[in-house]
Amino acid sequence: MEAIVFFVSAAIILAGGLGVIVLRNPVHAALSLVATLFGVAVLFIDMEAYFLAAVQVIVYAGAIVVLFLFVIMLVGVDKAEDIYAEPIIKQRQFAALAAAGMLILVALVGVAFAGDVTGQPSNEDMTISRAIENPDGTTTPAETSNINQLAEALFTDYVFAFEITALLLTIAVVGAVVLARRPKGDLQPLPDVEPSWALRKPRAVTPTEATDPSAGDDADQDPDETTVDQAATDGAETDEAKA
Amino acid sequence: MPAIFSLDPLFLGDAGNLEILAIVLAKVVIAFAGLMVSVMLMVWWERKFISDLQNRIGPNRAGPFGILQTLADGIKLFFKEDLIPDQSDRFVFKLAPYLSLVPAFLVFAVVPIGGDFSNGGDGLISVFGNDTYVQLADPHIGILFVLAMSSIAVYGIMLAGWSSGSKYPLLGSVRASAQMVSYEAALGLALVAVLLKTGSLSTTTIVREQAGEGPEFLGLFPMPDWNVIVLGVVPFIIFFIATTAELNRPPFDLVEAEQEIVGGFHTEYSSIRFALFFLAEFMNVVTMSAVMVTLFFGGPAGPDLGVLPAALWGFVWFFAKLFVFLCLFIGLRGTLPRLRYDQLMDLGWKLLIPLALGWVLFLATLDVFSDRGWTSGGERLVVTGVFLAAMLVFAGLLMVAISNGKKARERDGEEVFG
Amino acid sequence: MGQYLPILALLILAVLFAAISFVASGLFAPKRTTSAKRAPYECGVEPAQDTPDRFPVRFFLVAMIFIVFDIEIIFLYPWATIFRQLGLFGLVAMFIFAFAVFESFVYLIGNGALDWGPVKRAVRRELVDPGRTANTTIRRVGAEGRMEFDDVDTRTATPGEAA
Repeated sequence: MEAIVFFVSAAIILAGGLGVIVLRNPVHAALSLVATLFGVAVLFIDMEAYFLAAVQVIVYAGAIVVLFLFVIMLVGVDKAEDIYAEPIIKQRQFAALAAAGMLILVALVGVAFAGDVTGQPSNEDMTISRAIENPDGTTTPAETSNINQLAEALFTDYVFAFEITALLLTIAVVGAVVLARRPKGDLQPLPDVEPSWALRKPRAVTPTEATDPSAGDDADQDPDETTVDQAATDGAETDEAKA
Repeated sequence: MPAIFSLDPLFLGDAGNLEILAIVLAKVVIAFAGLMVSVMLMVWWERKFISDLQNRIGPNRAGPFGILQTLADGIKLFFKEDLIPDQSDRFVFKLAPYLSLVPAFLVFAVVPIGGDFSNGGDGLISVFGNDTYVQLADPHIGILFVLAMSSIAVYGIMLAGWSSGSKYPLLGSVRASAQMVSYEAALGLALVAVLLKTGSLSTTTIVREQAGEGPEFLGLFPMPDWNVIVLGVVPFIIFFIATTAELNRPPFDLVEAEQEIVGGFHTEYSSIRFALFFLAEFMNVVTMSAVMVTLFFGGPAGPDLGVLPAALWGFVWFFAKLFVFLCLFIGLRGTLPRLRYDQLMDLGWKLLIPLALGWVLFLATLDVFSDRGWTSGGERLVVTGVFLAAMLVFAGLLMVAISNGKKARERDGEEVFG
Repeated sequence: MGQYLPILALLILAVLFAAISFVASGLFAPKRTTSAKRAPYECGVEPAQDTPDRFPVRFFLVAMIFIVFDIEIIFLYPWATIFRQLGLFGLVAMFIFAFAVFESFVYLIGNGALDWGPVKRAVRRELVDPGRTANTTIRRVGAEGRMEFDDVDTRTATPGEAA
């Protein structure tokens, strides 16, 4: 039973992981990531780490991938980017090299620690995690959950790490605000964005638009646009998104 | 059986595999059918009740009192043309209804809907000699399962809007996901208050802890030991408001604000795909009402009044409480105007979340100090006073931050985070 | 594991129900599609604007602070189950943690990142004749000398445009 669940969830994880890499549409890739995370959650249940399974779904699938999707929608990269452009010279070769190195490393570690890598059950005699058949015919039911042990470890031995996590989160928030905030003072000329109020024909993808992702954005840009008008336009866009 | 072991004993006993499988399948099919029927009745009752509020007659053609109206509407939608817009992302467009419907079904699995909890009963019923709970499953993660499913349900709405390739659905879905995400935090924090009292995630344990008699009402008669009373009413109110927002029910239905964005995320959906979104929405209303009954109102726990067999009283109490909640949701829809988006966000972030966090810490402080022997009224008052003073400082800090934020925005313009 | 069997069964049943509904609808429903029907919905007129493909970064900040609170909540659950055994030590630990989270929350709010409402801003309009002008038909009674404040935002001060 456990083996079946393991193989099914492993298949989901692998398929999802492949999807993240292979799919060109970022939203599809994010969905594959959700599939992977879900598979990991099932795996956690299979290994009786129930609380971690819930955390996996609530935090990773419920919050972090939602953040990814927001970013994808925010920046408007939800179209397939040109996959043949190489921002870093020879990046494909480097990637292949790094992957090969990683594989060798994993193989080495695997050989070195063969037999030891699976670890020990975490709850040897602290609790019963399975139902036990007693000699007199009764059954001792399984412990409700390992959440109590987790809490005990977290808030006694690892309480310092727990507090440091809070610091980490604070730094993340400060970083997000600093990155998201536009600089004060006079507005710089905004990046070339097509005014949202420009009346356009219903979308017909032109060959240039299909090949060059940036062509569509500034094709209709009026050269007479001033900074002031762009600011006004931007405000209008904001209103529209809020509406 | 000790109280902490609240896993469904069905899977712990020595019944044959086939027998267990048969019971599980029977339970699943009954739950499925019951859920569908209750959604059908819920939609009918909502339309009937709201037309009463608005001095109309409401549905009255299909069946007695129009009770089959929902069924007729559902059947009609099967015969409607199913359109997939040209600009849509076809795969995600077809996937989204599943992501909306399936979590709506699954949440119901952890809700105890019956069983005898009166006089220290453990809520077990016996099916062909096998003890089991009157709920589909009582997994270890228990109530966290509800949170997990509601975080999955965000995807259904988000992806439905995005994949439509049309502006109103997209606006609706971005708005919706930000709203659901915001109120999920308040929901989770209110839930912590319940866990403080029960110390267990299992829904059966949560119900069992609420059976019996609670504190006395002015020394006159004992009140039920419901969490809504024991925890102070605040967590329940926060949970209720957050649930209403999670469900996109009025007055938080900005997601499908007809006057602004047509139908919101499901504008481009037609035929049965639309029907499934609709079904999921109302099913969520039923299941989340059931979750609230479980968490704060003792679920199926209630006195055994005789006449009926004891096991049946659980159902009676559960459905009576559920019905009150459904009427409450309909009443809200009939009476309150829709919030503006900034009001919605301000309510969630600047009031509910800090309040929920403060309340949880308050309850915990009281309990910890009463464990240390501070149990008399005066000592509790001291703890409360000191805590309140500290919280007032933090509340003041928050107020300053809010007014600073407003000033910063007026100074720098709204495009700073535009 | 067995505890999750009913959930799995319900999941399969729900997926089957949805799939069968789609198949049934495909069999019963008419197929008379036209390109007008498949066009983006725009209340019957031709779509004049494209779908916006950028959204305010505020949404991103909401998701960010949600992650922070989600993680705090996730830590609160195990704590809530054993906080009585942990006693004062656990309480203080949680207070410190909650304070740190609250601090980042206050920082975010103090920056105005969770403000959504319209901004009230004074906008300088051209000084116009109190009578009717070509720009507006509203008579500005007593407008003379009133528009001379200096700290107004002039960035969007295009003539005749209200903020």
